[in-house]
Order: sequence, then C-alpha cells, then structure tokens
Amino acid sequence: MRDLKLLGRLLPFLRKDAWAFAVALVLTPTAAGLSLLQPWLVKRAIDGHIVTGSMEGMGRLMVLYLGAVVGAWIVEAGYGLTLAWGGQRGIVRLRQALYEHLLRLPQSVLDRQPAGRLLTRITSDVDALGEAFSSGVVMILLDLLMIAGTVVAMALLDWRLTLFLLLLAPPFLAVLELLRRRLRTVFMAVRSALSAINSFLAERVDGVEVVQLYAHEEVAQRQFARLGRRFRDAATRSNVHDALTYALVDGASAMAVAAMVWFGSGGPGGLLGPLFHGSVSAGLLVAFIGYLDRLFRPLRELSGKVAVIQRGMASLAKVFELLDEPVPDPERGAPVEEVRGHLVLRDVRFAYPEGTDVIRGVDLEVRPGELVALVGATGSGKTTLTRLLDTSYGGYRGSILLDGRELASLAPRQVRRKVAGVRQDIQLFSDTLRFNVDLGNPAITLERCEAAARAVHADLVVERLGWEGVLRERGAGLSVGEGQLVTFARAMAHDPRVLILDEATASVDPVTERLIQEALGRLFEGRTVIVVAHRLSTVRNADRIVVMEAGRIVEQGTHHELMEAGGRYAALVRAGEAFLAA
Amino acid sequence: MAEAVSEGAEITVEKDRSGSGPGGLPLRGLFRTHVWPHRASLAAGAVFLALTNWLTVSIPGEIGRSVDALQRGLPVGGHALAIALMGAAIIVIRALSRILIFNPVRDMEYRFRQDFFAHLLRLPMAFWVTHRRGDIVSRAANDIGWVRVMVGYGGLQALNVSLALGLTGWKMVALSPRLTLLSVAPIAVGMAVVQWGIRRFIALFRRNQEQLGEISDHVLGSLQGMATIQGFAAEDAFTDRFRARNLDWLRTGMRMALVRSLAMPVLALSGGLAVGVLVAVGGAMVHAGTLSVGELTAFVALLMVLLPPLRSLGWLVSVAQRGRAALERLLEILQAPVPEESGATAAAATPGSGPGIMVKGLEFTYPGGAAPALEISGAVIPAGSMVGIFGRTGAGKSTLLRLLARLEEPPPGCLFVDGQDLVEIPLEAWRRRVVLVPQRPFLFSETVTFNVALTEEPDMERVRWAVGAAVLEDDLRALPEGLDTLVGERGVMLSGGQRQRVALARGLYRGGDLLLLDDVLSAVDHATETRLVETLEGLSGGPGHPTVVIASHRLSVLQRTGHVLVLDRGLLVDSGPFAEVVARPGPLRDVWLARRAGMADGGPVTGEAAS
Repeated sequence: MRDLKLLGRLLPFLRKDAWAFAVALVLTPTAAGLSLLQPWLVKRAIDGHIVTGSMEGMGRLMVLYLGAVVGAWIVEAGYGLTLAWGGQRGIVRLRQALYEHLLRLPQSVLDRQPAGRLLTRITSDVDALGEAFSSGVVMILLDLLMIAGTVVAMALLDWRLTLFLLLLAPPFLAVLELLRRRLRTVFMAVRSALSAINSFLAERVDGVEVVQLYAHEEVAQRQFARLGRRFRDAATRSNVHDALTYALVDGASAMAVAAMVWFGSGGPGGLLGPLFHGSVSAGLLVAFIGYLDRLFRPLRELSGKVAVIQRGMASLAKVFELLDEPVPDPERGAPVEEVRGHLVLRDVRFAYPEGTDVIRGVDLEVRPGELVALVGATGSGKTTLTRLLDTSYGGYRGSILLDGRELASLAPRQVRRKVAGVRQDIQLFSDTLRFNVDLGNPAITLERCEAAARAVHADLVVERLGWEGVLRERGAGLSVGEGQLVTFARAMAHDPRVLILDEATASVDPVTERLIQEALGRLFEGRTVIVVAHRLSTVRNADRIVVMEAGRIVEQGTHHELMEAGGRYAALVRAGEAFLAA
Repeated sequence: MAEAVSEGAEITVEKDRSGSGPGGLPLRGLFRTHVWPHRASLAAGAVFLALTNWLTVSIPGEIGRSVDALQRGLPVGGHALAIALMGAAIIVIRALSRILIFNPVRDMEYRFRQDFFAHLLRLPMAFWVTHRRGDIVSRAANDIGWVRVMVGYGGLQALNVSLALGLTGWKMVALSPRLTLLSVAPIAVGMAVVQWGIRRFIALFRRNQEQLGEISDHVLGSLQGMATIQGFAAEDAFTDRFRARNLDWLRTGMRMALVRSLAMPVLALSGGLAVGVLVAVGGAMVHAGTLSVGELTAFVALLMVLLPPLRSLGWLVSVAQRGRAALERLLEILQAPVPEESGATAAAATPGSGPGIMVKGLEFTYPGGAAPALEISGAVIPAGSMVGIFGRTGAGKSTLLRLLARLEEPPPGCLFVDGQDLVEIPLEAWRRRVVLVPQRPFLFSETVTFNVALTEEPDMERVRWAVGAAVLEDDLRALPEGLDTLVGERGVMLSGGQRQRVALARGLYRGGDLLLLDDVLSAVDHATETRLVETLEGLSGGPGHPTVVIASHRLSVLQRTGHVLVLDRGLLVDSGPFAEVVARPGPLRDVWLARRAGMADGGPVTGEAAS
C-alpha cells in the first residue's frame, strides 16, 4: 500500500513519455503471444505431420514458426527499448529535480546534513531506482504476462493436464514465496553488513596515522573481524536460501514433466486412465516442455528481480524524503532593486534549532560604504551574525533593516545579487576559471572578469591557466593564496553593494600575504563591508571595530580608540589571539 | 574440487607466465592459506555439481523414452518415476553443490579481506603519501568482491558450463551427429553475437559509471560550494551544467538499452531457430525412419538444457577478466612492503622516564620530494623538559615531530634517544613510549570515550581524568550523552576546538614518555589554552617526567615552554630560551615585533612577551 503510494509519486516524472509506456503496453501481449505461439506450432508439426507422416503443409508451418521466433525477438526489443526510453528519461528528470531541490535547501539544513548522505540520494539511490526500473519493473511486467499467457496456452492445448499441473503448483509456489521472504530479510542483513565493513575500512584508512601512532592496529582488526564475520555469516545464509531457490525451480521443472508423463499414462494405478488415456501425444509433451521452460525461467529470475525492485523502493522512499524537505522559494518576498548598503540591526537574536541563543541581542548600524571589522574569540557569534546578514540563515528575531526594509521580507535571491557573502573556506568548482569567476552569470562579460582579476591580483592565475583552463578537483592545483585571489575576483566581478566576508585563516607566504592585503583593499572600495577579521591589516583599515563576546557586542570603535580604552579588544590583542599569527 | 578452484589456480599460472606482475608466489601462498583448508567442501561441491549435470542431461533421454513408450501404448509409470526422482535429486544435489562451493568462498573472502585490512594498517606513511586513499578504499570495497565472484561464481560456472556443454553435446551427438551439427550452427552464431553484445555492454556500463562519477562529483562540488552558489544567486548556471551531465548519462544509458534489447536476446532467438531446424530436418528423418519421435523429443529437450549454460558462458568471460584485474590491483597493495623490525636487539632506552633527544646532521626529504623538507645540523631536547617549536606553515615543524614519532622513517645516525640511534629502537617499543597528537585531529565515528581510549574496554577513571586534563568537561556537559555521544563522521558533531581537545585527551589517556603536540591548540580560545598549557606544565618538569614537545605559532604558548627551536623553511635557524631567542633577529622576533606594533599605539606595552 505504502509502496503503491510511493510509486504514484513517480508518475509526474514519467508522464511526459506516456506514449512510450503506451507502446510498451501494446507490445507486451504481442511479445507474449508470439513467444507462446512457438511451442504450439512445434506441437502441430510433430503431431500433425511428423508422427502421422504427412509432410504436406509442414513448410507453411515452419515459415509461421520462423516468423514467430523473429517477430518475438523484434517485438521484445521494441518493448525493452520503449520502456528504457520512458524509464530512463523519468530517472533523469527525477535526478534533475532532486539537484534543483538541493540547490534550494537552506544553509541551516545543509550544515546539519553530512554531504555524503545528500550525495547518496542523487547518485546511488537514483541509480538503484533506475536499476529497479530497467532490470526489474520492465522485465517483470513481461514475465508476469508470460506466466499468465503460458498457463492459458497450456490450458487451451489440454486443460485437464494443465489443471493437474496447476494443482501441484501451490505447494511449490508457497515454498518459493517462503524462501523469497526469508531471502529478503537475509539480503538486507548482507547489505547493511557490507556497508558497515566498507565505511569502517574507509575510516581506518583515513585515520591510519592515528591507528599506527596509538598502536591501535589490533583493536581495529578485532572490530573489523567482527564486522567481517557478520557479513560472511549473513552472506552464507543468503547463499543457502539462494541455492535452495535456484535448485527448487530447477528440479521442479523436471518433476512437472514427470507428472505430465504419469498423468498422461493414466495416473496412479491407471485410475485416471479414462480421463487421460491417449490424450498425451508426443507433440503435446514437446509443447509442454517448451511452455514449462517459459514458465520456470521467469519464475527462477523473479526473486532476483524482486530484490532489485525492493532495493529500488527503499531508495525511492529516501529520495522522496529529501524531496519533501521543505524549501523556501528564494524568489518569494518583496523585490529588491537598487541597494545603497545601509544596515541597521535592532536587538537581533538567533538560535539554532533546539539550541539556546547564539546571538543574544545585537544592535548595530552600518552606514553605506562603511568598513566594519568583527572581532572576538571562537564561539562569540561573529560567523553566525554574518550568516544572518548574507541571508544564509533565516529565522532571526528582532530586526535587520537593509536600506530601511526588513531583510526577512525581501526575496532572498534578489538580496543576494546585491549582498554577497564570501566564506572562510575557499569554494572553487571543478570547472573553467572563467566559470569560477562569473559563475555562469551572462551579465558578467569577459572584460569585467579581466578587470576584476587585475584588480585583485588574480591575473597571475589567469595567465597561468587561461580563462578556459579547468580547475581540477575543486581547485586542488591552486595554492591557498591563489584560491583566495580567485574568490576575490569572483566577488569583484559580481560587484555587490554589500560584502559580508569571513577572512580565511590559512597562513600564506609573505609575498602572497601582501597581494591579498592589497586585493582586499580594492575589493572593499566603495562598498559596505562587514568582515570577520583575522588580519591585523584588515582591522587597522576598518572604519570601526566591533568586538563580540558570547553573542553580544561588547565594544566598538577604531583600533586606536579601543586600545586606549584598554578593554576586551586590548586584552585580545595583547593575548595575540584576536587574529592568527602574522 | 579440482576444477572449481582450478579457475583460481589457472590465473596463477597465467600470471607466472606473463611475468609482468608480481609473480605467482603470493598467489600460491594465498591458495595455500585460503583455498586449501576448504578443499573437502569444495571437492564435495564439485562432485555434486557433476552429478547435477549428469542428472540434468539424463532427463531428456528419459522423456524421449517415455514418448516412445506412449506412442507404442506401453506403460510409462517407470519413466515418470525416474524423471520425478531425478528432479527431486536435482533439488537436493544442486542446492548442496552451490552451498558447498559458495560458502567456503565467502569464508575465503572474509579471511582475505581481514589480511588485506591488517596489511593496510601497517603500511608506512611513505605508501600513503604516494597513493590516493579513496582509491585504496575502493579497491578494498569493490575488488575483493570481484575476486570472490571470480573464484566462486566463476569457478562454479566454469565447471558447470564445461560439464553441461560436454555432457549435452555428447548426448546430442549420440542421438544424431547430423542434427547436432545443424542445430548447433545457429546457436554458435547467436553466441558470437551475444559475446559481442556483452563486451559492448560492459564498455558502455563502464562509461555509464564514469558519467555517474562525474554527476556525483558535480553534486559534491555543489554541496561544498553551496554558500557561494546560493550567495551569488548562481543556481541556474549550476542547474544547466548538471543537466548536461545528466543527459550524457542518458545517452549512454539508451545505448546500453539498445545492446541489451537487441543483442542479448539473440541467443534465445538462435535457440528458437535451432528448434525450427530440428523439427524440419528431424521431422524428415523421422519420416525416413532414421529417428524415432522420442529421440526427436529428447533432442529438443536437450537443446533447452543447453541454452542456460551458454547464457552464463558470456558472463563468465567478463567475470574472469574483471576478477583478474581486481586481483592484480589488490596484489599490488599486498606486496607493498611493510616496515619490518630492523632486528635491532638494543633494548629501548629505559621506558618510564622522558627521554633526552639529540639531533645531529639530520637531512630529510619526503619520498618523491624535490628538496629536503628538514635540515638540522644539531639540536638538543633535554630529558623531561618542555620544548616549543616555532615556525610558519611549511617550516618543518610537523616533519620534525613525525620523524620523532617515526611516522616517517628518519635516516640512521641523525636522531638519538638517550644516546641511542632512534632507528635502532624496535618500532613497536618506541611507539609505545611516544604520543603524537597530530595537527589535524582525526576522530572515528564512535563515542567520545572510544575516541579517547581507542579500546572497547576503557579505563573509565582514566578517561575522565584525560578529558578533564584536556579541558573538555564543560563541552561534554553540553553534549547530548556526554562521553557516550557518537561524534559522527570525522567528528562532525564537535567543533574544531573540541575535536582537537578530544585528540589531546586521547594522547593524555595513552600517556607516554615523549609527548609530541603538533599545533593542537590552534583552534581553542585563550582561556582554554592557558588551562591546557598548565596541564602540560604539570606533566613535564625535569628528569623522570615525560618530555613534552609543542609545535605552535602562538607566542603565548611558546613563552611558557622553557626552550624554543625556531624553524624556517626546513632549517633550524635558532634555539634557546624564549626570552633569548626573541631578543635575537629572526622569524620569532619578527612576529613578536609585529604583535608589539599592533599594540604599540594602543598604549602601554608591558613587554610581557619577553618576560
């Protein structure tokens, strides 16, 4: 029931290719019919011609037979292809929708989820879904129809024999179903044991230094052995079930043939003789062998396909769980046209979900074009405050006014075109240098990129890589300093009115340090800037320094004023910890 | 069992001959340690498998005979009973053959994975810097599975297919050589097509996986750069790029569907054609009296028996290829040398008290590095002292500590512990005396307690002491389950400073004679730092106490160490008491002056830094 509901939610993604599914639906009975025709034609040939010895009309029969064989191949291919077309396009749409959904998830949600889990949704889970569709659903439809058709065809040839064979079926099917159910639980145990093994191993490899330094090898091996045994034992159990299922289907088809021969000859002690005697001909037997093959082959593979489909359903559930995570519409809210860059914060408070307040009543006014440096110890709330200002986090209390309008009432995406946040970690993408600067914004011309790069000393990187040069592995080929300069060029090219910057703390060599300082100076020019400062130079150039402690502003003023006051700031500076080492 | 395992053995031989790889020796060893102990089960499985095949091909003959009996109006009860018994026997015997062969293979897989893991844990750092860890992990995760499939499924199918083909072929030829030739011809053509299809399919599948890899890379990049994407309202451009990759994947997927739908079923097609040939030609033979109807029936039934093993033959080839490639990749790692005890008999210089360390003419270059990462002509760390190491990023602080902990192997005759050459001390004995808390704290996704104690039977009292000494108590109180809190992947549940202090608590719990702290205080605030340094001061304190070495660029920390070594670009440029070093020109003084300048116009500078 729940499964059906889930499947129903897939419909919107499949609807556009409804024609493909319609064609497949028409082809299904055709394929089954052509396939089922073959044993019947063989029976006709044997009973009607070979046994009787009249070869007339045998040629026509053989032509029909060949037509059925080739026709079945073509129709089945058409069936497979149309379903793959519809199914895979559906999968692509679903994946696209998931990705677009991901891009709209609020930062507060993203920060709480390990990236790996979200990644699994878009890749492995969607992939399992595709697999379930192409290997499972596609084939299972035809299989089921084939099973039903085979039974009907057999009944048409000899309903009494078919009936007797069918009477034997329920116990067989019951055992098969029992095995399948047990296999399902066992299979889940196998999968979870395997993923436990793999993540354990990955983690120990990642932390191999710690393992060696702390002579932790033996403990780790013991833990690993336990996981390994869990996997081995589960796999062994699944082997047993699997082998039984496989062998049961294999042996049952032989037993069905035996039953056929037996009943045909009159059954137990010839009791059924009057019913059957003489009705089981050689041709009928050959035809039934052909039909039994068509009956048992899908039955044998059914359990494997069901497992694939079950895996797909599990993934489907997880995929929709992510899709159901509510996302705010970033275009909803009052439009934002020109921004002067005037910020007023009144008694701003903020708490993470299920947490206590980390911002505890901040009042601050930043005039257009002003450079404000935020300073404070780790955990004082500086970074959280910047996340509120660049609209990464919503849900603040109190009031944040941008040019006199409440920030929360404005459309976030429009705000972000004017207010740019630059994070401490250097965020680069495995794409061209040009894309890393303009981020695909068509309004940013190459000239603008070049001017931006020159202004922030990123032109050296441009010279080395070229604008179309691709950054490998998210900029792994760049030095830390170069990476920073590229992100500055990005900010410069986007030309925001307000810049919210969390300075990177990583130390760089003195030459690069000077370049960065100059670049920052140019980047700050003519904008409202709020910067979480880790550089002495940044602090000294600030129009105002705001010192935070435990989610509140405890001091503000210029460097000079604050040093003279001899308060928290002076203490921080004296301790040498307001900023990282030079 | 000969054949089931000969699949694995065959590969040994091939590898021996190719001579390109690591040679056959480890394989022979693997065979002896992993396969041989299971010989009884495997042999029994192989015998059962042969029996199953014999039964399977015997049934069509029995069917043929019963058809002939029916034709002549003779009783068929005996035939029916025979078929039924064979069917029942097949259920038992086939199941047993699969269980007896597959289950030992699972055990082999378990033991092999265990060995592999043990080997990984002991590989030296020199290995890890030259290999991508993700790659190693994926080899362990996927390749071991592929080897198991090759040995288990591959071995079983190889035996199964050769038996089935041989026996069926023999039975068919015995019935009629002419019919055999005629019916096998279309099947052979079909096989060739399917073989091509499988190869094509695997190539496409690989491409498909690569494209999926690109998609996943794109998603990962987007997740990591989400603040930028959303912050610069660049969602549309990223969506477009994602779509392009998604559509590439679709194109390959459709081509796979094409191969799968058209080429793969050709075997069934040719099987159908073969039945047609049989009926037409065989019918004429029955007519001519050279074949009975029963024999023709048996022939059709044999053809049905022949098709499934043929179907698996195509996959068998690819399974063997993949398995072999996987095994080669695994052997490459298994044969990477693990450092052995240098055989030094010298007892580790008396454990139980902090060692004195002397550095003499040390020059160290990382494997694959162009220039030396560290060159120190001479330096001394007195026993039981607390020494600071100062230097900018890349100055060589971490390298020196890693050499002392022998994470990197120092050249002989350069580092002396209480007068004894470090490389002559047995590695394990030395590791038991040294504690290095690395700069990048690494936490396992287990509880805080496990991360501190690194054992499943922790001494809770000591854990609580270590946690207290590392100033973690307040933090733990805020965590949902205190010491039992699961810290998540790489400790995501904790802040950077908390992670560092858990790592420090781990070092304190373990304890040792030489405590090496690599910049572990960089993410903690000033007050916490003060308490931590006090703890460390309490630990060291002259002869008999542990020797503590702290690498840091924080002046406030270095000031409190008795002695400072100053590194700059891999060279030791100065050393001595902090107050003396800071008075001399050099990197330490530069930073100190910069600080002072920062404070200078702020009024009275107490000069505390130099005190």
